[in-house]
Amino acid sequence: MAKIIVIDDEEDVRDVLKQVLQRAGYDVSVASGGKEGIELLQKEGADLVITDVIMPGIDGVTTVKKIREKFRNTRILVISGGGNVAPRSYEPDAISTTAFLSSAKNAGADGTLTKPFDRQELIDVIKELLDD
Amino acid sequence: MAGRMNTVGGRLVLMLLLIHAVLMPALFIALATVIDRSTMNAFVDDARIEGRIIGDGVENALESGDSGAVEQLLDSAMLSGHGVYAALQFQDRLVTSSMMTSEDVPRFEEDFDFGEHGDNTYYMSVPVSHGDEFAILRLGFDELPTQQNLAAVRQTIILILVAYTVLALVATGYMASLVVRPLKWLGRASHAISRGEVDKELKANSELREIRELSADLETMRSNLVGMNARLQKEIAEREQAEAERRTLERHLRHAQRLESLGTLAGGVAHEFNNVLQPILLYTDLAREELPKDSETADNLGKVMDLARRAKKLSNQILAFGRQDIEAELEVAELSPIIVNALTMIRALLPASVDLRAEISNDVGAVRCDEAQIKQLLVNLCNNAYQALSGRDGYINVSLKEVIVPEVFAAKYPKLRAGEYAVLEVSDTGHGMDRDTMERVFEPFFTTQQVGEGTGLGLSVVHGIVMRHDGEIVLSSEPGKGTHFRIYLPLADDE
Repeated sequence: MAKIIVIDDEEDVRDVLKQVLQRAGYDVSVASGGKEGIELLQKEGADLVITDVIMPGIDGVTTVKKIREKFRNTRILVISGGGNVAPRSYEPDAISTTAFLSSAKNAGADGTLTKPFDRQELIDVIKELLDD
Repeated sequence: MAGRMNTVGGRLVLMLLLIHAVLMPALFIALATVIDRSTMNAFVDDARIEGRIIGDGVENALESGDSGAVEQLLDSAMLSGHGVYAALQFQDRLVTSSMMTSEDVPRFEEDFDFGEHGDNTYYMSVPVSHGDEFAILRLGFDELPTQQNLAAVRQTIILILVAYTVLALVATGYMASLVVRPLKWLGRASHAISRGEVDKELKANSELREIRELSADLETMRSNLVGMNARLQKEIAEREQAEAERRTLERHLRHAQRLESLGTLAGGVAHEFNNVLQPILLYTDLAREELPKDSETADNLGKVMDLARRAKKLSNQILAFGRQDIEAELEVAELSPIIVNALTMIRALLPASVDLRAEISNDVGAVRCDEAQIKQLLVNLCNNAYQALSGRDGYINVSLKEVIVPEVFAAKYPKLRAGEYAVLEVSDTGHGMDRDTMERVFEPFFTTQQVGEGTGLGLSVVHGIVMRHDGEIVLSSEPGKGTHFRIYLPLADDE
C-alpha cells in the first residue's frame, strides 16, 4: 500500500483529501504546514507528498525544494487554488498561484493540480505519478 | 496745414522757404548795390572825362578868341551822350548852348552825386582860365537812361533769383518725394505688420540706398517675425496635441489600472473561492458514495457537485480576466487559420438567421498567441455582438488585417507601441453603447442584460486574454448605430 503525506494549511482540505485517498486505498498522513510535513516525511517516509503551494510559514515551493534535497525518490504533487495569494488591490504584480505552481515545478515537483479538482482527476494523477 | 507741415516734404519745403526768404533779399541787395556802384562810377567818370575834354577845348577857344568855337563845344556837350545842359559862366555873363531846350538855370554850386536832388540830372562844374579872367564851364547830364538801365538790371536779378527759388523748391519737393514715397510705403507696410498682416513680402521700390537698406532690414524683421510666429503656433499646436494625447493616455491608463486592480481583487476572491469549492466538491462526492445510486439524496448530492463545478467554471473565467491563470505558453502562429476555424464554430453556434460576415486577410504576420484563448476571445466578442443585435436586422462583421500603428495613435493607449500589429475587428450594427457603458464594459460581472441572460464575464475574459497577449482593445460605439471592437495584437519579431 502506497504511502501519501498531505500538506495543507486548510483543515477541511486536509481532511477531505485524507478521506478520499484512504477510500482509494492509500495510507495517508496529514500535516498543516511545510515544516510539519517534512518532519513527518523524515519520520514515516512516503511514496508521494501532496502539498498546497501557498501556506503560512514555509511555503509550498520551499517545501518542494527541501524534500527534493533529501528524498530523491518521493513523488511530489503540488496543488493550489487559482488566483492570487490575497486580494492585493492596486498592486499589479500580485503573485499568482500560476507563478507559484510553475516555480514549484522548477523546484522539482512531479505534477500540479489546480483546485478545485474532481476526485477522479486526483486519483488519475496519483496513479500516473506512482506508476512512473 | 499743421499736419502737412509735420511731414518730411512739408518740413523740407518750409525750411527751404525760410532760408530763401533770408538769403534772397540779402543776395539781391548785395548784387544791386555792386551793380549800382559800378554803373554810377562809370557814368560819373564818363561825365568827368567829357567835362575835362570840353573844358580844355573851351580854354583853347577862349585863348584864340574864337567865340564860335566855344558855342560849338557847348553844343557838342549837348549832342554827345546824355547832355542836357551846357553853359559857360563868365564873371559878367552867361553863354549857353543854343541846343538847350530849357532856360532854367540849375541851382548848383558844386559837383553833385549821381541821383541827388531827384531831378534826374547830373551836374558838374569845370573851371576854365581865360587870361586873367576866370570862367566856369557848367555841364548837365541826363541820369534817366542809366537809372532805367539799373532798374532793368534789378528786375532781371529779381527774376533770376525768383526762378532760382522756384527751381530749388521744385527740386526739394522732388527730393522729398523720393524720400517720402518709400517712407510712406514702409509706414504702410509696418502698419500692416502691426495689424497682423505679416505674410506679404516687403520690398521698397526706391533707388535710394538708405531706403533700400531700411526696407531690407524691415523685411528681415518681418520674415523673422513670420518664422517666429509660425514656430510659436507650431509649438502651441504640438503642446495642445501632446496635452490631448496625455489626457487620452491618462484616461486609458486609469481604465487599465482599474481593470488591473479589479483583476487582482477578482483573482484573490477566486483563490479563496476555489479553496472552499475543493472540500465542497469532494465531501459531497464522498457522501454520495455512501448512498444507493438511485436514491433521491444521491441525485441531489450529484446536483450539488454540478453546481460546484459550475462555480469552478465561473471562478476560472474570473481568473482569465485577471490573467492569473496562465497555463499554455504563447506560441508564434498565424492568426488567419485560427480565426477562420473559430468562425466555422461560431456560425454553428449562432442562429442561422444571424448575418455573420468575414473579411480575413491571409497576409497578416504571425503573432505570439494562445490559440485556444484567441478562439475564446472571438467567440465572446461574437456572442456580445449577437446580443447587441437582439433580434434587430443587422449584421456582425469580423475582419483581420495587418496595420502599422503610428506614434501619435500609440501615444493614446498604454499598451500600444508604434509598429506592426494584427488587428482583429468585430463590429455589429446593434444597439451600441453610451459612454458610461463603454467605460465599464470590461469589468467583471458588468452586464446590461437581464439577470440570468449573461454572466457579465464575456468581455472581461476578452480583456484578460488581450492583456495576456500584450495587446490593446480599441472600442468605439454609438448608441443606436453599433459597436466596433478592434483587438491589436503585436506581430511576433522575425527570428
